[in-house]
Amino acid sequence: MPVSANDPVDVLIVGAGASGAAVAWSLAETRMHIVCMEQGDWANPAEYPTNYPDWEQRLQGENSIDPNVRGRPSDYPVNNDDSPISVVNFNGVGGGTVMYAAHFPRLHPSDFRVRTLDGVADDWPVNYDRLEPYFAENDRMMGVSGLAGDPSYPPKQPPLPPLPLGRFGETLAGGFNRLGWHWWPSDSAIISRPYRGRDQCLNLGPCMSGCAQGAKSSTDITYWPEALRSGVELRTRCRVREITLNEAGMADGVIYYDPDGEERHQRAEVVVLACNGVGTPRILLNSKSSQFPDGLANRSGMVGRNLMFHPVGFVQGLFEERLDSHKGPLGCSLLSNQFYETDPDRDFVRGYMMQGVRGGAGPWNTAMQGAASGRIPWGPGHHEAFRRHFDHTATIGVLCEDLPEAHNTVTLDPELADSDGIPAPKITYRLSGNTSRMLEHGLAHAREVMETAGAVEVVSVGPAREAGWHLLGTARMGRDPERSVVNPWGRSHDVRNLFIVDGSIFVTAGAVNPTSTIQALALYIADTMKKNLANLFD
Amino acid sequence: MSEGLIASDAALDAEQREILEPLVDTIVPASEDGRMPSVRECDFPGFLARNAPDFLPELTGILADFDSGFTTQPARLRYERVKAFSERTPESFNRLLAQVYGCYYQDERVLAAIGLGAGAPFPRGNTLEPGDLSLLDPVLKNPGTWRRHVT
Ligand SMILES: Cc1cc2nc3c(=O)[nH]c(=O)nc-3n(C[C@H](O)[C@H](O)[C@H](O)COP(=O)(O)OP(=O)(O)OC[C@H]3O[C@@H](n4cnc5c(N)ncnc54)[C@H](O)[C@@H]3O)c2cc1C
Repeated sequence: MPVSANDPVDVLIVGAGASGAAVAWSLAETRMHIVCMEQGDWANPAEYPTNYPDWEQRLQGENSIDPNVRGRPSDYPVNNDDSPISVVNFNGVGGGTVMYAAHFPRLHPSDFRVRTLDGVADDWPVNYDRLEPYFAENDRMMGVSGLAGDPSYPPKQPPLPPLPLGRFGETLAGGFNRLGWHWWPSDSAIISRPYRGRDQCLNLGPCMSGCAQGAKSSTDITYWPEALRSGVELRTRCRVREITLNEAGMADGVIYYDPDGEERHQRAEVVVLACNGVGTPRILLNSKSSQFPDGLANRSGMVGRNLMFHPVGFVQGLFEERLDSHKGPLGCSLLSNQFYETDPDRDFVRGYMMQGVRGGAGPWNTAMQGAASGRIPWGPGHHEAFRRHFDHTATIGVLCEDLPEAHNTVTLDPELADSDGIPAPKITYRLSGNTSRMLEHGLAHAREVMETAGAVEVVSVGPAREAGWHLLGTARMGRDPERSVVNPWGRSHDVRNLFIVDGSIFVTAGAVNPTSTIQALALYIADTMKKNLANLFD
Repeated sequence: MSEGLIASDAALDAEQREILEPLVDTIVPASEDGRMPSVRECDFPGFLARNAPDFLPELTGILADFDSGFTTQPARLRYERVKAFSERTPESFNRLLAQVYGCYYQDERVLAAIGLGAGAPFPRGNTLEPGDLSLLDPVLKNPGTWRRHVT
């Protein structure tokens, strides 16, 4: 049966998440005909769990961060059987930013130079200084709260004052200070004051279930309204299966399933992929042709390789005093870069960030987790143990840099498929010896912070399984077409009208949450495209 | 038996209701200081009917494990029996626990007793103390070995 074809468009963006939204907004000023296809729908903030008294139970099931548990029609399954870390995401307008914790640090200048500094992996073909104006523009567009003056970064000025540290933050800060270690209030994509028509954070707690207040800067409420007003067309519930090629080896559009499940062809002059470090290699690997038998834009063999996650461990301390730690925002209070940079005296290269984590665990969760760990019994003794734990815990996340390794991959599962029959991604991932040693060091040192801050009991876990939040490296950028998928401004080496703007183009992962850098890169790529419109494909 | 417990429960028969009350009371008894109520005062059957009607068949099965003698046993023996049940069928017990805690920790009196407001968190929100940023003084005084100066 012939596939229905639509009128051609100038630019087709696939994926309406963090990077897709930024690139759509930036390109809109060209007044080209820009269409974005997104497999999911608009999220409805009135349905987010915190609108309901049973918000804690609602965080499970269809509001889970795990697409395999959530199982909405917009989700695709992920085979994580061969990985100690499983992929979490959100598929809808805003992408991962709808569920993210909005901790918003930038990669550090040194992260772009790891080969030069530490002799591992590769340097990036762009550097911090090049991206700085785009970081700043993104901070303004998203609405970022923070405090200028962090000595672990070059100067930067967040547009809004920092979120409250609260008792929780003060307590941890005391621990860091007594040890003489670095800490700083986090840059957060959560607005601490009214900003551009949105109201400020209410400290609800579970940011990862979507923000009912609209204070968390997800791209459905930041970039997208502006991009739509500027003429970008966003088509939801359209799932792209593959990118098609013309005889000259240029992309000429995509085959997708429309909201009725009908297979259609959308022609386009330029295709931009923004489906994240798992979704993007999935589409490329599924776009096989005689010209690209191993998947589109994959002459280097690097598509789907070098997957990086940021393995995470958590250290939880129990304190005698109340910490207000059930209140939000969950992942945004303070961070420490004390162990961020390589130290030759340690048995690993590169480093990790420590991130204060509060919020999320309301009374139900506290009781359930306490039952599972045996720390809060049911029956006699329940109230006493509950009182000691609820609101008395503080957590530090240890977020480790993951180096690119070719054997950590996203491939197509031979059996598993989504509801349209598109092969699902399969994750194959091993924690390296370097990362394991780093994580061990991080857990031990986070424990030291807790004990110094006055914790009476400390427990730690790591690597956490349901922690594949950051999906990076699977279509990396570089100058050498033999060793990278896209060039220094996101254009495929092999297909000159195909661009990639999401987390898959990261060369290395750094040790910070990546979205600020993903979006700065997307804005940088869009800007470079605009500057080169006349000779975009040369 | 309290009126509250039976009022909203149509699916359980009288004998089951009689077992349910001491069962949930064993899981979350009132606190000795009287500040925390027992879950028996929180209309557990009503909660289930509203929030988790699908759990009723499983609950019926759980109640079948406890004969009517259970209701007259002293609290210590009841605890032993519930504990034995939890060890024998941990998954089923965990699902019961999730519902019991779900009911208990949404009850207004319970929430007030642990210092929380009732109902949905939004739009009520929470207040956080801003925190003392002068705590950063030592960080600022440190010459800063934290950044590698590269371009
Ligand atoms: C629970 C959670 C917490 C997180 N916390 C943080 C944090 O605190 N800080 C931080 O920096 N990052 C955080 N992240 C990660 C952050 O969400 C991602 O880094 C970011 O969203 C990635 O941006 P992206 O543009 O690469 O992809 P995404 O934002 O994931 O967007 C990809 C979009 O593409 C769509 N798509 C995929 N395939 C197709 C297809 N075939 N057809 C059509 N559409 C498709 C998807 O539906 C999705 O909407 C978190 C993520 C999660 C899930």
